[in-house]
Parts: sequence; structure tokens; C-alpha cells
Amino acid sequence: MTAGTDTVGTESAPTEADPAARAGSTRGRLVLKGIHKSLGGKEVVRGIDLTMEPGEFLTLLGPSGCGKSTTLNMVAGHLLPDSGAVEVDGRDITRLPANRRSMGMVFQSYALFPHMTVAENIAFGLRMRKVGAARRSRRAAEFLELVGLDGMGERYPRQLSGGQRQRTALARALIVEPDLLLLDEPFSNLDAQLRVRLREEVGALQRRVGTTTILVTHDQDEALAVSDRIAVMAEGAIHQLDVPETVYLRPATDFVAQFVGEVNVLDGTAAGAAADGHRCRIGGTHLVTATPVGTAPGDGESVRLYVRPEAVRVRALPEAVSGKGGPATTSAPAAAEPGLPGTVEATRFLGTRVRCVVATAAGRVEATLPFGAEVPGLGEEVICAWQAQHASLTARP
Amino acid sequence: MTTAREAETATATEASGASGKPIAAGVGGRARRLLGAVFAALVGLFLLAPVLVTIASSLTTTSYVTFPPKGLTLHWYAELLNRPEFLDSFLLSIGVAAGAAVVSSALGLAAGLAIHRYPFPGKAVLDRLFSSAFAVPTIVLGIGLLQWYAQLGMASSPLTLLLAHLVLTVPYTVRLVLAGLAGLDRSAELAAAGLGAKAPRVFWHVTLPAVRGPLIAGAFFALITSFDDLTIALFVVTTDMQTLPVRIFNYLQYNYDPTVTAVGTVMVLFAAVAVVIIERVVGVAHLFGADPEN
Repeated sequence: MTAGTDTVGTESAPTEADPAARAGSTRGRLVLKGIHKSLGGKEVVRGIDLTMEPGEFLTLLGPSGCGKSTTLNMVAGHLLPDSGAVEVDGRDITRLPANRRSMGMVFQSYALFPHMTVAENIAFGLRMRKVGAARRSRRAAEFLELVGLDGMGERYPRQLSGGQRQRTALARALIVEPDLLLLDEPFSNLDAQLRVRLREEVGALQRRVGTTTILVTHDQDEALAVSDRIAVMAEGAIHQLDVPETVYLRPATDFVAQFVGEVNVLDGTAAGAAADGHRCRIGGTHLVTATPVGTAPGDGESVRLYVRPEAVRVRALPEAVSGKGGPATTSAPAAAEPGLPGTVEATRFLGTRVRCVVATAAGRVEATLPFGAEVPGLGEEVICAWQAQHASLTARP
Repeated sequence: MTTAREAETATATEASGASGKPIAAGVGGRARRLLGAVFAALVGLFLLAPVLVTIASSLTTTSYVTFPPKGLTLHWYAELLNRPEFLDSFLLSIGVAAGAAVVSSALGLAAGLAIHRYPFPGKAVLDRLFSSAFAVPTIVLGIGLLQWYAQLGMASSPLTLLLAHLVLTVPYTVRLVLAGLAGLDRSAELAAAGLGAKAPRVFWHVTLPAVRGPLIAGAFFALITSFDDLTIALFVVTTDMQTLPVRIFNYLQYNYDPTVTAVGTVMVLFAAVAVVIIERVVGVAHLFGADPEN
């Protein structure tokens, strides 16, 4: 009937012995085509297109109300899109009810069945697939071990900690060997330390079992830490879909830049391609480089540049440039180097790093100095510079 | 509980205010515990006294009800056997009460689910109606039902009595079911569906267990409310068809012999047995809304 039933019914002995043996699965290719959805008269999802490769871990990242959970629920089959299609492994499942899809879902509220033991909870999906009791309990024991809950099968959910409950929910979702694992804010109810630990565990587990996974979260640290790719969403649309490094270092829009951490926003004009990126003139004269997002802008076009404080390097301005009567020999190469000159306005000690605020022609630029770096004095003339690959260049909105 | 703790805090503050007399707190604590025990005993006695008086006076050898009983006899229980009308009334009462329990559970579940889950015209009105039904004095309800049945041309029957009692009991079960559903995480139902359960199985495995406690409690309340009702029944019954409370009430208007206290004792025994059975089957904690999560 469903793919899940087939898989459970026909799986071979070695797979059964080791749930982790499924790593490298070629199943679970998800395609979303032009998904739209209105809820309560408001369009919450406005044209989502997305392709996930088997085994990929993708995060839908965005603030509450951006449509990420709605999108997930359409993949799960709990909501029907107004238009568009959901395909898994080439099969259109847009109108297939949730119980006939093969999706393992984990909820923020755990959503365990309170009157069932942990083992019964985990085996529920097998029970619905008419798997015999003996095999159910054997499989449940395997998955208890997989999520590190050995020996807790006879407890009730109320006797577990939050982390243990979420591990139970994870095992319950994975035992049916779903096409996709759907995680809806699964760590949000946990305290900060546990959240970090569990997300590492889930990431490791996902790599072992190889199930294509979608994580929905509003926590950018979480998204950066576990994802193969991140789709940053706002107001029902995907603003940027890329690997974490790119999303972080080279945000495509204001929204992405602001949402995923702190950022310096600099406006300027495009000034031609360079070897490692694209040149950009700021404050009329100063040249910096950045990597264009999408098509490169034409010369003289208004552009906006995003650069993270961590990517900004602060160097003291060479004497030759700032001073009047220095030896002329060193001045030429220093002046040719790209960078944004300015005056140190403030330095803040933040424990593991130092934040340095530099007043430049384009406004304040914040830089995070690496541990052990020399901290410039207040009022010192410095140059802020960065590598082209650590800054993004977009058309000015 | 809270009061006791507050009292303790108050005493502690006083003790520290009196500076350096910790022994006083100890003595005060003992006295307070003693007073507490006496108070609890008095409350218990207050609640139980009418029952104890009824039981005791059913054993009297006099032909009128008196307390303390004069002598001991089971004569009045034997007398009950000569009065089959009491047995008939008991069977009628228990039948109607059982019907009220079953029907109001079913209706309560259906109505509770509808109100909790689905938008429909008149939902807000219905919801408010179920909440305020408790506020209508039963005597007004009785008079209203009398008129209403007369208008409809419905002759008194166990069915009309049952319908009358449902007016009392269904709001209870609806409220209880709604409370149970409020405690159910809807995600659990989605999770069950996602794991391959069709709608009826989701209902059976996830939804129903969440309202099991409220349903049993609702059925129990309905049973007791119906079994105990005099006010409404007075208006709905006939001379041929009398519930047990009506039978006792009418009997007392002309007689004052200990037969009625014997009947009362049997009713108390019946209620006690019912409570014990329910306790064995589901646990009284469930019944009174204790959260099984904790």
C-alpha cells in the first residue's frame, strides 16, 4: 500500500539487525513545485520551489509566521496546498492523506501518546502496519538503543525528561523507515544545554541512518550547526537556499543578513569584476571587494554589501599613508590594498573576543577581533578589510 | 494545604520577631497539629452524621424514626420486602440513572468534540448554554418540562424521565469532555496519522484515551445526579411510576416509620458499592480530574 509498508514488510535480515545500516539511502528525493497556501484568508506560503536530494538534511529557517511549519505540514500531509505539487521519488503525493505517506514527524510538544509506554509509543507505527507483536517489541528495543534509551521501554512518557521524550519521539518516527524525517521545532522545549547536545545527536543519527530530513526552526545557530543546506524563509517565500557557510557569510537579502546573526550593511556602487570577486566603491573613493549574489551588477550600479563582523580584519593604517613625511617606498602597495579606512570609536571586551567599532565614510563598521589579536586604541586610524568570499554584493533594494 | 503553609510561615515570622524563643514554635506546632486533627474530625463528623443517624435509626425497634435507636432489630429491612413498590421504584431509578450515564457520556463526547474541533453556526451559543445550564434552578426546570411535555402530548414514561435528567447531566459531561480535550495535544493525533493510522484508529488509540477519565467521571456524575434527583422527578412522574426519591418523599408525607431509613441505608450501601467498584476499575483520582500526567 504505502512505501513504508513495503519496506517494513520486505526488508532483509541484516538491515533489521542494525537500523544504522540504511545509511547512504537513495530514497527520499523531495520536490516541492510552486506551493501556495492560504490559512484564515492570509497567504502564508507564496510559491515554494525546492528540491532535496536523498539523505540531505535541509533546514527551513525563519521567524514565526514565515510559513515554514505550514510548508512542513504540507509535506507531512496534514495540510493540502492550494496549488503546487509535492513529489517524493518522482511520485506525486500532493493529495495523499498523511496516513498513506511515509513521513516520520517529530513535534515541538513531543506529541507522545501519554497512556502508552515508551516501547509502545515507538512501536506504534509498526502496529498500524500490522507487524506482529514479537517483531514489534524486538524492533522497538533496537530503536530504543539507537536513541540511547536502552531499558526505558517500560516507562511512561510522563516519567521521562524532555530530552528523553524527544528521543522517544525520534525513535517512533524513524522505526517506520520513513521516506522523510520531518522535525518541527524539535528542540525548542528543551533547555539551552540540552538543546545543543540533542541537536548534535540528531545530526549524527541522521548521517548514520541517512534519512532525508527537514528541520523547521527559528534558531539560526541550530540551522547552521546541523544542516547540509538552509532555506531562509520570510513571509511565505524562500529568501535564500544554500549551504550554511554561504547563507552566513554571503546573505542574499537584507532579511537573511539581519536574521542570521549580526551584519555590517554598506551601500556603494559597483566598480567592475576583480580576480577573486567584484569591486565596489564605497563613499565615492574606497575600493572593497565582495562576491555578487546572482548576476553581477553593471559598473556604476547601486549595490549593497553585507559583511559579518567576524569577517572584518582591522589593521593599523601604515605610517606612510597617515603620516606626512614617511619614506615613500612603502606607501604605494599599502594604498593599493582594498579596504575601508576609519577611526576606532569603541572597543568592547566580550570574553572570548573583542568587538571593535570603526567609524568610516560609509558609517560604523563592526569587527570581531580574533582571540589574541592586538586591540587598536581608541581614536586610532585603521583600515577595515575582508576577503571577497566573505562578503556578499547585492543590487540595492 | 496552602493555608497550613501560610500559617506556618506566619508563625515562623512571629517566632523570629519574638527573637530567641524557638521553643515556642515547637509547642505551637504541636498544638496546631492537634487542633488541625480535631478540626478535620469535626468536618468528617459533620459530613457523615446524617448518614450515621439514618443508619442507626433504621435499626430501632420503635415504630417511629428516632435517634438514638431504642433496641436493635432488622425488622424494618424485612418490612421492605413486603413493600414491592420500593423495589419497583429502585429499579426504575437505577434504570433511568444508568441510561442517563450512558446517553450523557455519548452525547457529551459528541458535543464536546464538535465544540472543541469544528466551527458550526450556533457553536458559541451552544457552548454558553452548556456552561450556564447549571445555573437554572431544578424546580424551574421541572415546571418547564411539565408544560413542555404537556404541549407535546408526551405521557410520563421512563423515557420522559430520562430526557428530563439528560437536561441536567449532559452539560456536566460536555464540560468534562471539553476539559479533557483541552489537555490533549493535537500533535499526538497528527503524529498517529503520520505513523499510518486512519481516522478511526487515531480516534481509538489517541483521542479516546485522552477523554476516558472525563467520560467515566461524567457517567458517574450523571448516574448519581439522576439517581438522586427529586425536584424534577416530582413534576414528571405519575402515581404508577415513581422514582425512589419520589417514593420516599411521598411515603414520608403519611408515614414516619423506620422503613424509610432502611431504604435510605440501602441507598447508601448501594452508593458505597458503586464507588468501590469504580475505584477498583478506574481509580477515584481519575474521576475527580486528577491529571494522570503527574
